[in-house]
Amino acid sequence: MLFIVCALHCEARPVIEALGLKRDSTSNAFEIYSSDRYCLIVSGMGVINASSAVTYLLTKNLFDNHTDMLINFGSCAGKEPGLYLINKITDSATGRDYYPDLLYDLSSYGLPITSERALVTSYKVVSGLEDPDKLYEMEAAAVFSAASRFVSPHRMVFLKFVSDQGVDDPKEITPEFLTACASTYTPALLEVFRALSLMVEPVTRFDEELFRKTCEELRASKTMTHQIRALFTYAEVSGQDLAALLSSLHEEGKLPARSKREGKVVLDEIRNQLL
Amino acid sequence: MRSETSSFNFPFSHIYVEEEIRDHELTKSILSRFSKSVEIPIRHYKDVFNRPHQSFRLQKNSPSLILAKSKGSHIYKGAPVCQDFGFDHFYYTSSVMNCIFDCEYCYLRGMYGSGNVVVFVNLEDTFSELEELLKLHPVYLCISFDTDLIGLESLTGFVDRWVEFTRTHENLTIEIRTKSFRKDIYDKTPSCERVIFAYTISPQAIIDKFEKRTASLTERLVAASRAIEKGFTVRLCFDPVIYTKNWKDLYSSMFLEVIKYIDGHQLKDVSIGSFRISAEYIKKLRSDFPASEICQFPYENRGGYMQYPQELQNEMEKHVFTLLQSFISEDKIYMTDYREKA
Repeated sequence: MLFIVCALHCEARPVIEALGLKRDSTSNAFEIYSSDRYCLIVSGMGVINASSAVTYLLTKNLFDNHTDMLINFGSCAGKEPGLYLINKITDSATGRDYYPDLLYDLSSYGLPITSERALVTSYKVVSGLEDPDKLYEMEAAAVFSAASRFVSPHRMVFLKFVSDQGVDDPKEITPEFLTACASTYTPALLEVFRALSLMVEPVTRFDEELFRKTCEELRASKTMTHQIRALFTYAEVSGQDLAALLSSLHEEGKLPARSKREGKVVLDEIRNQLL
Repeated sequence: MRSETSSFNFPFSHIYVEEEIRDHELTKSILSRFSKSVEIPIRHYKDVFNRPHQSFRLQKNSPSLILAKSKGSHIYKGAPVCQDFGFDHFYYTSSVMNCIFDCEYCYLRGMYGSGNVVVFVNLEDTFSELEELLKLHPVYLCISFDTDLIGLESLTGFVDRWVEFTRTHENLTIEIRTKSFRKDIYDKTPSCERVIFAYTISPQAIIDKFEKRTASLTERLVAASRAIEKGFTVRLCFDPVIYTKNWKDLYSSMFLEVIKYIDGHQLKDVSIGSFRISAEYIKKLRSDFPASEICQFPYENRGGYMQYPQELQNEMEKHVFTLLQSFISEDKIYMTDYREKA
């Protein structure tokens, strides 16, 4: 699942429409739009809204650090128009820096490492660019800070498009203008989303039902249960057929064990056969 | 990683640089070698290195480089699980954290939360601290414990500087542990017998399976042989001895390779130790490397260290010991005695 955090509905609209996301009617606190692969939350502007939205999103949906990604997407102020990948986020109020892990090569999706920028999260709309090499917006530091309790830094991606160079009057940036800007970058974003959604890490899983049954048949204590779990995992990763071994112990009448003591003896035999 | 886009960024594509050492000569020298990398200024290396929930395993595919200044003490007392080779004042130092190699059993995976490589550029401060310590007593110092300094030599030049420093400080002996193939160091650097190059020796099948990106067995033996030839002191470390189904055959075959390249009488000594790791570290390894056979092995916890079952451990260590008896005198074979110290 890709979880997307976007400050404003007008920024998110082109993505919502392109991905065909449907409004989640069970969510009252925040606007959430989702499909079977995407879940987008409209956080509202500023750090408080952003951290609340991220916390809400990640507690409502259990984030899986092997399969899921958290993406913060939105507009920012910067020197030159473009879509940028963020490699450093500075909270302007606290001075604290946050670093997403940039492990994946997204150059074939329009985001080479030359597209990376440092970003400053400001607590108000910026009227100019204090450092012209940096980008300025109002949520990313809070997104990172709140998400870092749940999410690995390589599973957080910050994508920002430049809408302006800083304005004296926030009203100059209209919703229609932001929607138009977001629309420009939506095809590129969808490509990046597609790439990120494929980044799934393998997880070792064994037959839980067989594990539970084996624990019962060995009359396992808590300590023995831990040992059996370790043996199941080892058998799985070392490519050994534990099911066949247990089956032969059944045929020999050693399973199920008649007592805990007998279970220990059989467990030793399983261990010896696996090693 | 299942992905059509599973390509990772190239190693050291991102270089984090502490602002305090941006103008250090070594920082500038290292940065000049990575013109295609992104430089990201940081205040303190821990802001990057100690982030929560990092994936050591994935970072190994695309490690970042962190250039930092080591602060406080740089020299530490050796841990009980490390062999002291009979030296009373046994210390280690870490001018680099993490390694460019990727050994599946490495304790660094359990010790550090990050697979990124930290280079402390201010080696001169370690030298100053060491000079004070040397005024008190002789020192035996392992300088390549938490990394492989030879593997990083082209980047840091630290090995060359350590050899030079040791040559000019008579009561200092250093050990440089490595799995590198590099032998040019021995041609360029004048020898010093108090610099011990310690090669970890494993069967090729173990190297292929568990010691990714390291030199082959033959390359290590050829490099060790060159070191001896050039007058350096060499130690072979059969440590860790790793269990696989056919471990006995693998280690016997490996020994035949060893004697092809090395004359045991020319070695300072050898060490033998079966794989062991802190019980705390194995928890993290098992969580971060769920598909690793070596991490998921059902070890026994003895004295806070996860070890092979006693009988198996004895059998493995005895087998390697027996092989080595015909190769080097027994008084030069060091067995790990961490069980008593732990």
